[in-house]
Amino acid sequence: MAEDNNTKMKCMRCGHEFFGHYEKGVAEERSCPKCGSFSVRPLPEKKKPTG
Amino acid sequence: MDVGRHPNITLLTYSEVEDVSGYIGNFKVKMRRKAKYVDESTCNACEECVKVCPVVVPDEFQMGFASRRAIYIPFPQAVPSSYLIDMEACLGNFPIACGKCMDVCDQNSINYDMKDEIIEVEVGTIIVSPGIDMYDPTEHDEYGYTKFENVLTSMEFERLMGPTGPTAGEIIRPSDRKMPRTVGFIQCVGSRSRKKGNPYCSNICCMNTVKETLLLSEYSSDIKSKVFYMDMRTFGKGFEDFLKRSKEHGAIYIRGIPGEIEEDPRTKNLILTIEDTMTGKIEQHEVEMVVLATGITPRVDSEGIRKLLTLTTTSDGFLMEQHPKLKPVEAPTAGVFLSGCAESPKDVRESVQQAGAAAAKAQILMGQGKVKVEAITASVDSEHCTCCGICAKVCPYSAITVDVKNKIPATVTEAACHGCGTCSAECPFDAITMKHFTDKQLLSMVDNYLEEKQKEKIIVFACNWCSYAGADFAGISRLQYPDTCRIIRTMCSGRVDEKFVLRAFELGAPIVLVSGCHYADCTYINANRWAQLRVEKLWNKLERLGIRPERLQLEWIAASEAVKFAKVMKEMEEMRKKVTIEEIKETEKILKQEREKKEAREKKKKKK
Ligand SMILES: [Zn+2]
Repeated sequence: MAEDNNTKMKCMRCGHEFFGHYEKGVAEERSCPKCGSFSVRPLPEKKKPTG
Repeated sequence: MDVGRHPNITLLTYSEVEDVSGYIGNFKVKMRRKAKYVDESTCNACEECVKVCPVVVPDEFQMGFASRRAIYIPFPQAVPSSYLIDMEACLGNFPIACGKCMDVCDQNSINYDMKDEIIEVEVGTIIVSPGIDMYDPTEHDEYGYTKFENVLTSMEFERLMGPTGPTAGEIIRPSDRKMPRTVGFIQCVGSRSRKKGNPYCSNICCMNTVKETLLLSEYSSDIKSKVFYMDMRTFGKGFEDFLKRSKEHGAIYIRGIPGEIEEDPRTKNLILTIEDTMTGKIEQHEVEMVVLATGITPRVDSEGIRKLLTLTTTSDGFLMEQHPKLKPVEAPTAGVFLSGCAESPKDVRESVQQAGAAAAKAQILMGQGKVKVEAITASVDSEHCTCCGICAKVCPYSAITVDVKNKIPATVTEAACHGCGTCSAECPFDAITMKHFTDKQLLSMVDNYLEEKQKEKIIVFACNWCSYAGADFAGISRLQYPDTCRIIRTMCSGRVDEKFVLRAFELGAPIVLVSGCHYADCTYINANRWAQLRVEKLWNKLERLGIRPERLQLEWIAASEAVKFAKVMKEMEEMRKKVTIEEIKETEKILKQEREKKEAREKKKKKK
């Protein structure tokens, strides 16, 4: 899969929202670009059922 | 040579490690001894085969400045001193089209049918010494490497000067095979740069250039050296004197890195344009040869070794040691030691030191014949184990064996377990107990802290090595941080079980913080990553249950970051103040219901 940085991230410290890379079940170092906190929560879009 | 002759050392050259299993004291190593097609026990290196071999290929050791035959010795000092056949180049293979070397070999050492051999050895300790690769400066278009004949790398120049080199030590430049009268050295090529190459300092290039300027001055007083640099890093014993000597012998040091190199097409001389940062002037220097002081990079195949030995790398790609100051020779996997440039770029002196230390550390273990196991290790209750295999998957040391297919419960190799507790936190069936950090012990700390005045307490899980040490450092530095923080120490953030966090919220904690070592600095290789994934799952779970996920926080705090620890605690306090009594009561209610439902489910399951 191509490297994409289009998963929404939310900083649990300051509330800042931004986009970053996310892969299910894979830990990646993330920090908030605004406040520097490591409490960054990935918010991947739920897969819609296909068909 | 000494190693090759030593009765207690078996040297396996031209071999590759394919698999490593086991643990400290009991490693099993599977190796492929590649076929050399020459019997090294009978070959007497008479060279007759080389004389008749018709195949000529570039000599890798001589950096392509010379050629070799298909039958060859990789480099003059190679041990054992016997030939091998490069089968990709040889004509003698299936069907025999040449066979000249075989005809002239008096010893009958040549065997075209030789096959790779797989051997397995049992060893107690392993020393990893993968060597280095040199940075390839081709991406630096401005230096014209490979475009201009007289631009060489420091390694190529080293071969050119070497007594066993392609010119037998005669220094000539490639374009006209004449001695260059001016040689320009450009420092930090591929080092200390975030744009091209690597951000780290390669450690050896400054002193290597200083050495080369001295060798040039000894070779001929007609050769002038000019060194273009950012900083000369001469920090080792005698290094500064060495630099002084180089300057006394006429080498000129110019503080400025060329922005561009151009070639005079007629003379093939090179024109360097630089800004001398001492004078602030733009200057041009014409030299007859340029040497790029290229940096060091980790061996490309050390990645394979890393995987086989469950090691980890630092951000620069070199293997990570157990502790940068206190255990620089030990790898995180017990019984494995690092030497040479495995862990960072090193010069000869440092490599010798590290190798000596690695050998000594390994010998201490081998001499004792037994190891003290950690007091804090995991143990599996096989009755509760469902053989799901999660524990084995998360163990950073591969210390857990479980047969998922045949339903054989997990077992922990205590000698390999370092006690991070990630397995215990991840086990969905509570079948793993961490000695001295049991669920019962940690939960009762949560219970005690939240017995009263819950709204005023922040529960902080801190790993022993970094965050807890950071808290300690903040304390001894007399830094002020809110007294509402209640710290629970775990060996690793990987030990923080989902149920500890949920219990804290159920008992009324307004804020819970999980903290651990910085991402790449986890004492337990990568156990903190499991903590991160768990926190991410918990955020989702809390939200699903209608609890504000922001009340659970994650932070990486190093032992040295006392100021950061205090700052984070102040931020937690600000967040705590915003959590209302109503919100806490609601959370308590939700989680109580949730727990009761789970307990009822488990009861039902047991009855079945
Ligand atoms: Zn933020």
